[in-house]
Amino acid sequence: MSTTSERSTRTIYEQVQESPEFTQLRSRLRRFVFPMSAAFLIWYLAYVLMASYLPGFMATKVFGNINVGLLIGLMQFVTTFAITTIYVRYADKHLDPAAERIRKHIEGGA
Amino acid sequence: MDGVTTTGVYALVAMGIVALLSAVIGSLGVRVARSTSDFLVASRTVGPAANAGAISGEYLSAASFLGVAGLILRDGVDALWYPVGYTAGYLALVLFVAAPLRRSGAYTVPDFAEARLRSPGLRKVCTLFVVVIGWLYLLPQLQGAGLTVATVTSLPPWSGAVGAAVVVVATVVMGGMRSITFVQAFQYWLKFSVLAIPALFAVVYFFSGDRTFDRPAPPEFPDRTTVQIRTDVVLQVKVPVNITVTGVVDGVAHSGASVRWETGRHTVLADSELQFGAGAPVPVVEGAPVTDADWLTPFPEGREFGLLGTYSLIIATFLGTMGLPHVLVRFYTNPDGRAARRTAVIVLALLGAFYMTVTLLGALSRLYVPQLLVSGDTDAAVLLLPSAILGSGWVGALLGSIVAAGAWAAFLSTSSGLVVSIAGVLSTDVMGSGRVRDFRISAVIAGAVPLALSLGVTRLDFSEAVALVFAVAASTFCPLLVLGIWWRGLTDVGAIAGVLVGGFLSAGAVALSLAGLGGTGALGVLLYRPALVSVPAAFLTMAIISKLTSRRRPADAEQVLLRLHAPERLGLSRDRLAERVRKAPT
Repeated sequence: MSTTSERSTRTIYEQVQESPEFTQLRSRLRRFVFPMSAAFLIWYLAYVLMASYLPGFMATKVFGNINVGLLIGLMQFVTTFAITTIYVRYADKHLDPAAERIRKHIEGGA
Repeated sequence: MDGVTTTGVYALVAMGIVALLSAVIGSLGVRVARSTSDFLVASRTVGPAANAGAISGEYLSAASFLGVAGLILRDGVDALWYPVGYTAGYLALVLFVAAPLRRSGAYTVPDFAEARLRSPGLRKVCTLFVVVIGWLYLLPQLQGAGLTVATVTSLPPWSGAVGAAVVVVATVVMGGMRSITFVQAFQYWLKFSVLAIPALFAVVYFFSGDRTFDRPAPPEFPDRTTVQIRTDVVLQVKVPVNITVTGVVDGVAHSGASVRWETGRHTVLADSELQFGAGAPVPVVEGAPVTDADWLTPFPEGREFGLLGTYSLIIATFLGTMGLPHVLVRFYTNPDGRAARRTAVIVLALLGAFYMTVTLLGALSRLYVPQLLVSGDTDAAVLLLPSAILGSGWVGALLGSIVAAGAWAAFLSTSSGLVVSIAGVLSTDVMGSGRVRDFRISAVIAGAVPLALSLGVTRLDFSEAVALVFAVAASTFCPLLVLGIWWRGLTDVGAIAGVLVGGFLSAGAVALSLAGLGGTGALGVLLYRPALVSVPAAFLTMAIISKLTSRRRPADAEQVLLRLHAPERLGLSRDRLAERVRKAPT
């Protein structure tokens, strides 16, 4: 019993793998995930660089006890949240419909 | 002293209620649990909101609840990297591994390793590191419970650690994961509201007063303050100050004598008592910025290689989160990928709100509890803040005890998650069955070992202790997960070599620096924060050895990768757990 199910899954694997839709889906995911993580890490590391080489700018008063450095520091939380939201939107809008198309394709072909 | 006792009684009652509530919610859940799979992954039927609460509740540990505020109090803006990194690490987890790992059907790193590379050897190595990372992470949690009990009551620290360990193991043994999910969600909201209340009070005080941070002078004692010194400290004095001393200071024994400290360094031995007048400038422990202006400046003078240390910290927290066993398993409790993503967004919002609150409390404690800068016990800041702001009357005592209960919730929730993860791995991989009885025995072992350690090892600052664990996780499981998910060329030999190289470099470096062999140069900084070297080393080793052993590449690598990246709706993902439960003898 297990052999037949193995064999039938294998055909589905091959079908999906060869389909241009799947290649596209995977490249879409990669094109999003890797540049986004790189941008995100650079933004963090740049903040640390700014903090150490532009102390004057970072110490600029905005109001009360709040200076530019502190504001940008708190912005890190905001950007983290923003990126996650963007990712979820992207996945809902581009990845899920693509997955749906692949499923239709397979069901139609099978 | 009266205030301390009142708070102590209130606090003990509040902590008892938290423990009891956790146990009750836990035992309600147990009726729903039907089999081992229910226990371990909550049947994947938990809603995104409850699940997000649970993830956040589990993630916000002693390091977050007490440690972040403590480091902000002492180190200022430089300490912002801890909360930012803890949040960012979560994002890295979501982007790189969460969805593919869900699809793999593996809910622990050893499971993933086996599904991907079919190597029992790699599985053993991963099991070892899950247990090591889990135990190291449990250590500061139990010590945090000890510190909390010792700070708000006069009981010895060990009683708090033992109490926390017993409650955690009992809850896990009785309830398993299903119940834990609701306990965790409850504990997140408890932790957050408990800190939000003093934060609101504090903000009102803060804006109504005329206090400012940006002064080129040390902070001042708001009132006449007596500081108990528990361990030997070296204090930096910037502005000369008059003190009444009982104990040994600068090598001279005093008994209630008046002493004037000139600018410079002064040594105070343990068990001394220093009394400062209202408005006196605060001496600050060695290594921390002295003046408020320096405290607000990144990398103040005297902190060498700040950039190197901070980069290494960011790498560790950014990449380490995905390797923490208790965080990873949670993603499996979502019914599908869409729910997993919704969960992730809610979690980020919950974490961000929490960390901003703790950061605010840390800054305010510089105004209200500066005596911690003298004694070095900065981790107690959040616990002492309510009574410092509101006085030692019943309002202050009540709020103080609620905060202590929140801290207690932090240790309980993180520790429960860790004990569940360690016990899961021990029962399936070491005891070999994954049956409920073995799971329970494993839970007892998972709690007992770190308890014994926590009673014997000297305490580090919580956030720093946790950052060390992040470095080990980032150097071992991060490369394995990222390369395993995104690179078809990974082989079992390459993976084992990489995990071992990363693990020994990071753990070894930390052990060397804790033994005092580090020094203060660039090498010392890297020994204390090894991620900048150990993470790339692990990645490189894994990639190079895999290239050299490319004949060992599993034949089904393409298929496994396809399953990891194909959307769930294709129905290709396999429920490994369901398979195992079906196979397991009952």
